[in-house]
Amino acid sequence: MERKSPTFADNEARLAFWLLVPTVTVVLAFVLFPMAWNIWLSFKPVTLADLRGESLLRFNFSLSNYTKVFLDPEFGSVLLTTLVYTISGSLLSILLGLMAALLVHGEFAGRGLVRALFISPYIAPVVAVTFTWSFILDPQLGVINWLGMNQGLWAQPIPFLSQRFWEFNILGLSLRIPLALTSVIIFEGWRYFPFALLFILARLQAIPQDLYHAASVDGATPFQKFFHLTLPQLAGVLSTLFLFRFIWTLNKFDDVFLLTRGQAGTKVLTIKVYDFAFGEFNMGASSALAMVLFGILSIFLFIYFRWMVKER
Amino acid sequence: MTRERIENGIILGLRITGMIFFFIVVAFPFYWMIVSSFKPLEEMLLNPGNLGLSINKINFKAYYEVLFEHDFSRYIFNSLYVSIATVLLSVSLATIGGYAVTRLHFRGQKVMSLSILLIYMFPAIVLVIPLYVLFSKMGLRDSFHVLILVYLAQTLPVALYMLRSYFQTLPVELEHAGMIDGCSRLGVILRIVVPLSAPALATVALYTFMIAWNEFLFAFMFLDSPEKFTLSRGVVQLADSVHLSKQLVMAASVMVSIPIIILFFVFERHLVRGLTAGALKG
Amino acid sequence: MPALTLKGIFKRFGKVQVLKGIDLEVNHGEFCVLLGPSGCGKSTLLNITAGLFKQEAGTVLIDGQPVDHLSPRERDIAMVFQSYALYPHMTVAGNLSFGLRMRKVPKQTIIEQISETAQLLGIEDLLDRKPSELSGGQRQRVAMGRALVRRPKLFLLDEPLSNLDARLRANVRLELKRLHQQIRGTIIYVTHDQIEAMTLGDRVVVMKEGEIRQVDLPKVIYSEPQDTFVAKFIGSPEMNLYQGEIIHKENQVSFKGNGFMLELKGVGKEIEQGEAELGLRPEDIEIGADPARLPVKVEITSHVGSENFIHGRIGNETITIRVSKDEYPKPGSEVFLKINPNRIHLFRGGLRHPLVKL
Repeated sequence: MERKSPTFADNEARLAFWLLVPTVTVVLAFVLFPMAWNIWLSFKPVTLADLRGESLLRFNFSLSNYTKVFLDPEFGSVLLTTLVYTISGSLLSILLGLMAALLVHGEFAGRGLVRALFISPYIAPVVAVTFTWSFILDPQLGVINWLGMNQGLWAQPIPFLSQRFWEFNILGLSLRIPLALTSVIIFEGWRYFPFALLFILARLQAIPQDLYHAASVDGATPFQKFFHLTLPQLAGVLSTLFLFRFIWTLNKFDDVFLLTRGQAGTKVLTIKVYDFAFGEFNMGASSALAMVLFGILSIFLFIYFRWMVKER
Repeated sequence: MTRERIENGIILGLRITGMIFFFIVVAFPFYWMIVSSFKPLEEMLLNPGNLGLSINKINFKAYYEVLFEHDFSRYIFNSLYVSIATVLLSVSLATIGGYAVTRLHFRGQKVMSLSILLIYMFPAIVLVIPLYVLFSKMGLRDSFHVLILVYLAQTLPVALYMLRSYFQTLPVELEHAGMIDGCSRLGVILRIVVPLSAPALATVALYTFMIAWNEFLFAFMFLDSPEKFTLSRGVVQLADSVHLSKQLVMAASVMVSIPIIILFFVFERHLVRGLTAGALKG
Repeated sequence: MPALTLKGIFKRFGKVQVLKGIDLEVNHGEFCVLLGPSGCGKSTLLNITAGLFKQEAGTVLIDGQPVDHLSPRERDIAMVFQSYALYPHMTVAGNLSFGLRMRKVPKQTIIEQISETAQLLGIEDLLDRKPSELSGGQRQRVAMGRALVRRPKLFLLDEPLSNLDARLRANVRLELKRLHQQIRGTIIYVTHDQIEAMTLGDRVVVMKEGEIRQVDLPKVIYSEPQDTFVAKFIGSPEMNLYQGEIIHKENQVSFKGNGFMLELKGVGKEIEQGEAELGLRPEDIEIGADPARLPVKVEITSHVGSENFIHGRIGNETITIRVSKDEYPKPGSEVFLKINPNRIHLFRGGLRHPLVKL
């Protein structure tokens, strides 16, 4: 049988293949492979000796890593801390982003500069902002504590990032808040509100002016216009933002690590993964916990998309 | 006083307070970072609450120390090297990859588009540890090139997605005309698509630079020898040395932040477009 | 007391003076059309009436009361936008009831008023749908319904038919007229389409470049245009307009155009000699075979089905003449003009010059 000369379509497919090979290789190697490795390692009891030797590849399925993870005394609190951190951090950054977007929306002088300023927390390097915040919140040298004590707001310096709880009295009620965790959550809001700001602003600017004119004529006051027109139009972008921020805050490591190293009640799942790997040198447990983290992510995604489909 | 006028008044009040609030909250850390870096040590220890800084007290000692006594001049070079290499590679690979996904028909085209975004669901810490183990065993851990590859893996998916969106807006006819005129596909990419995509390429370059320059985790985990440290790694080193004073850390922080902040203010419009163009690593 | 009075309205956008002193009165129950080419300021005038834009100078009075300091909400007006501006996230019922809900009208009243309006416009079946699920014509009705449901003092319509296809437009036009007769509201209607203006308006306000050129009944605007702009703007095909001069030759008043001379029989010598513009509507010209008349060289004939048009030349000028659908002169042939002296329009300095007939 004669060999058919390659068709145009064949050539295209082949070219596409080669054009994509470098990208796909890099991504496969540095993303999918580690993922697969984690799955593998999590089901295999691993000792330090294994790491050095060749026994890494031997398959001996076992759930001992998972047992270790779930039975770890810290597991419950780490889980709770992670959920509180993730949900609060996401909500706070979106709320601040919404406020900032409403402020920046509309024409006024210096708007470009203001917008550029508001985005700075997001684009600045993580090391710079975390160390700056640590410094500002420092009990001895930090400006907040110094001002607070000077103005007589509090008597002792407050270790914002290194104390687990803080009690204070307000209106006769005694409240106890998780101090370090709250500080870290506030940092999250500060650092990531620009992300929400950008998306919300883009959506705000896409709402046709005519709608607001119609609402004016229909008799809506400014607040009514906001609640009945603006917010419903933003519903889509706000829920998408929550999706993204939830995923990324859940996965976050750098910020918490640099601010508190996970101490004082700020130990989230990612830090615990790190602790298992480089604190206890238990790679197996570390991988197992990573899988748990991934599992939580998947559950969330499942719930989210189910809910979205229902809304449609 | 109608309800409308009352509401407008409240809104104006809210706007003003809001602006002041956000302005202070956003700018203050940066202000403090800069001011502290110029404070002499005594000033900082004696007057930690001094919000201002008189001109005659400004002193560059911290910067001098950081640059020359703590090797930051080298770290700047390292960061530049890694970031620029990442940008060049990322833009090139994303361009050809993005072109392939947009223009060329092949099986699994749709799957590619979706999976690009799924990559971003993976936590970095989860990826770092196996890579750490693997590269340790291979003895490759303490190397720039591995770092560049890692950054590529982090930025390529979004870069590809951004360029794909942009390429979709270019009229196919231009490329057809080029091919009729005798260009090969690659020629078309180089001579027609790339020149026309300058704004998108600039956005991708800026975004990639920002990711590579700011990156902390992998630089922290992978780089062992101090002469290979990037700026992020160097700052942490400085901060961990308990005996060193804080303004050194602030000066170092300023140095890491300045290039990206300047780049941003100059190219503001491009970056904003780039940041909203696709899923971004948070 | 007129329903709407506009006094000396001036409006500028940046460097452009969009409205240059508008004075207008609209009576209760009147269907008043603002007609003009794009950029003439008609939509701006509407927006100022609504209170969406603020004028630099001048007053707006509704029912004799100045409303300049009042927001749109307080002026008791309703508006239909060219883009309809339906709230995309609300159902049709939600859109219709929005204004009533904002004014805290009791729920039962809202339901009654909505169903009444919906029935009037034939959209009762659509109440639960969202705008994205409606056709263009349906959306247009909802937009009108939203305006009607509030029973305001004034209805403002900004080119509400321009987004509909031609046939739908013609149907909706008739419905609008029927609606107006039923509800007897005061309507200010903006359009650039003269057919809409002529068929719908009780009175037509012709605007150009921020000024009012003529306010009259449609038939008066058609038969007695006050200036050359109105003369050319109204009427399709356009009026034939020629520059030239009036000449008294022997005992006859004639018009000397570019390459032709037209005897104006029946026009008296009170018309002085000198520069003038002569206007002839295509349907006011008859053709005959009498060579004593002015010859027209036929170049093209076009057929619309119900009638034909001859496009030809007199002298160095072109002319369009309407003929019946059975007449079909060949291109290149010659026909001869017969003019009705009562249908001539004479303009001097761009403005209408009255003709005294013998």
